Amino acid sequence: MPNHPKWKLLVVLFSCVICISGCVERKQLEKLGLSTAVGYDLEKENQIRGTVVVHKFDPLAKNLTKVITVEANTSKTLRQKQNLETDQKLVTGQLRCIIYSKELAERGIIQLADALNRDPTIGNTVYLTVTDKKASSILKMEKENLKVDLGTYLYNLIKQNVESEQLLSPTLHEFNHAYNDHGKDPVLPILKIKKGNVVLSGMALFRDDRAVAELKGDKLFYLKILSDKFNSGTHEMGFNRSRFKRIIRNEQGHGFRSVYNKFFINIDNIHSNTKIKLVDKKNLRFKVDINLESRLLEATEILNLSNSTNIRYIEKIVNKEMEREIKSLLIYFQEKLVDPVGFGNEYIAHSRGKMLSKKGWRDKYKDAKFEVHVNNTIVKTGVSD
Amino acid sequence: MNVNLHPKESLLFNAFLLMFIIHSVQSGVGIVGLPRIIFLDAKHDAWIAVFLAGVLTSVILWSMIMMLKQYDSADLYGIHVDVFGKWLGNFLSIVYMVYLTACFFVIILNYVEIVQVWIFPNLPTWQLVLVLILLAVYAVYGGIRVMVGVSFLSVTGTLWLLLVIFVPLRYTDFTHIFPIMNVDIYHMIKGIKSTTLSIMGFEILMFVYPFVKEKRRALLYVQIGNLFTTLTFTLVTFISVLFFAEDSLSKVIWPVISMLKIVRLPNLERFEFIAVSFWMLVILPNMCFYLWAASKGFSRIIKRTQKMGIWIIASLAFVASFFIKARYQMNLVTDMIAKVGFYAAFCYPVILTIIVYLKKWLSRRKQSHAEPS
Repeated sequence: MPNHPKWKLLVVLFSCVICISGCVERKQLEKLGLSTAVGYDLEKENQIRGTVVVHKFDPLAKNLTKVITVEANTSKTLRQKQNLETDQKLVTGQLRCIIYSKELAERGIIQLADALNRDPTIGNTVYLTVTDKKASSILKMEKENLKVDLGTYLYNLIKQNVESEQLLSPTLHEFNHAYNDHGKDPVLPILKIKKGNVVLSGMALFRDDRAVAELKGDKLFYLKILSDKFNSGTHEMGFNRSRFKRIIRNEQGHGFRSVYNKFFINIDNIHSNTKIKLVDKKNLRFKVDINLESRLLEATEILNLSNSTNIRYIEKIVNKEMEREIKSLLIYFQEKLVDPVGFGNEYIAHSRGKMLSKKGWRDKYKDAKFEVHVNNTIVKTGVSD
Repeated sequence: MNVNLHPKESLLFNAFLLMFIIHSVQSGVGIVGLPRIIFLDAKHDAWIAVFLAGVLTSVILWSMIMMLKQYDSADLYGIHVDVFGKWLGNFLSIVYMVYLTACFFVIILNYVEIVQVWIFPNLPTWQLVLVLILLAVYAVYGGIRVMVGVSFLSVTGTLWLLLVIFVPLRYTDFTHIFPIMNVDIYHMIKGIKSTTLSIMGFEILMFVYPFVKEKRRALLYVQIGNLFTTLTFTLVTFISVLFFAEDSLSKVIWPVISMLKIVRLPNLERFEFIAVSFWMLVILPNMCFYLWAASKGFSRIIKRTQKMGIWIIASLAFVASFFIKARYQMNLVTDMIAKVGFYAAFCYPVILTIIVYLKKWLSRRKQSHAEPS
């Protein structure tokens, strides 16, 4: 080797690289237990019970997952205690789903959510959920019929429904966003056990970080329409049969079906566009304009749809019905003092001067008035008239 | 000491490379935390404040070039001596050297802190500091042309990160930016002032100027570089304001990295790891140019070799890194540098330009007075 300064420098650099890369903490996959789902219950005053589903990478193990339950005061102590009960180091980089029990959610969950925010190893796209029972009972469920571990199952369950637009996305980021916005409140999905399976049953409405109300089934459709651009989702509406008498195709020999004593119609949304406008700042009047393009996919009577006036007639009735239902939903939100749609953000965006505080908006929100206009166009009726 | 510096022909570089130098030196470790710092002052009009700071920078760059044009091929050290004489001039030069060294130090420490928080919580500070310092020393040893190459690679190699910033746009709420211009003038000016730490670095121009080949065209490329920085910073701030809620943007320390957390690639769950690692490429030219400019003083003022200066500054920074441990100390030092930087990079060049012009005017008048008699 020639005695050249560049050589010396190279040797120094290489030895640095080798020495220093060995100094960093190593993480071998076989020695890690990846927690994929975490559940929190309120154990008693000042104590929470944490349950974690751990995914193992051990080809010899019969069960790929392990469930550990411990009690502590903070979520990080929970993790430490959980670590004492497993042979693998618990890491949270693959955390997919977090479940809060209803009790806990009613008391407030921001301290737990904040711990998640603070931890750089936890992603922003973790799903937060609420359950009506104990979180541990969901995580401890019999998992023989599950091919994947529960965390991944829950993740897929929610993701699938978010992607098919049945559900508002409940990621940690969205929760933070809504919680920290002065004019918006978070919503999280509710998990339920149904015949040994975990299913989604509705949405929990939050006032700040406390769950105060529940939104069920078909109301989700409206919440989704109100808060998002929306490209799918079906909605069913029931009417008195007499209102549709005019356009029901009354063919000889068929007559009325007596399966239902009401008339049901199913609207499949293709495209929606919602505009929320503050029309009167002083009296706090909001105008909600909803434009829908939809398909009529199912009706419990055979309708005569070849006629454009008939379709126009259905549109009119459906519009009215939707307006009524959306209005009652908004009033329900107002009664519960929750603002999941984000009317407050719209108001703040139009008011100059000092920014309205969260409480300030809540005081104003009580007196807000809403005008709802739905413009539903039935663009298609399936493959038949 | 010669006022003018005439480097060898082989050391000169083309003027258009100034574009890359200015941009790469400006965008460093500061931009990661920039949106939050401005948001604290200017609220949701932060992006306007950042843009105005960029405009201000462009004015200052113009005045710098005007000042440098008064000389044939001088750097700040030479101008100091020419304007203030040997003693006061050299004293000011040494003060500026200390400032440059401090910048070098703060950049490294801030980056190490990011790495520690986001990737390796157990990594001792000195290890990464040592690696970074050696890397910077190695680049500066290569000379000015190598460093220009580094800054060129840094800009082109990290340009794609700009595209990634559009991914968070899917999660934004456009009501956040309204009403536009809601903040009063006082807070807007405060916001502009807070942008200094992130946007400074362009003072390096006063040191690399003698090495530019076509000095007449320097102004154009410097302005293009600064324009690019301004637009990038404004865009990043704008998207941050949309992406974060009011209360969370004022809490997160590194909004840009937090924002990139939302990016998910099919087989890479955590994009911020890539972003933080790539950030080293972004700060590398910063470290190099600060180290180079500070060490240049050794050969210009004290008549020692620049190599000695490099090692003195490098070891000073290394030793000093042991004294900074907690986040609040870090904040203190960074704030101090930001404050000093405001005067050193924003105010001082303008004042110096005025003094240089005054001096030229006086000497010209003296000449014209002297001639008739």
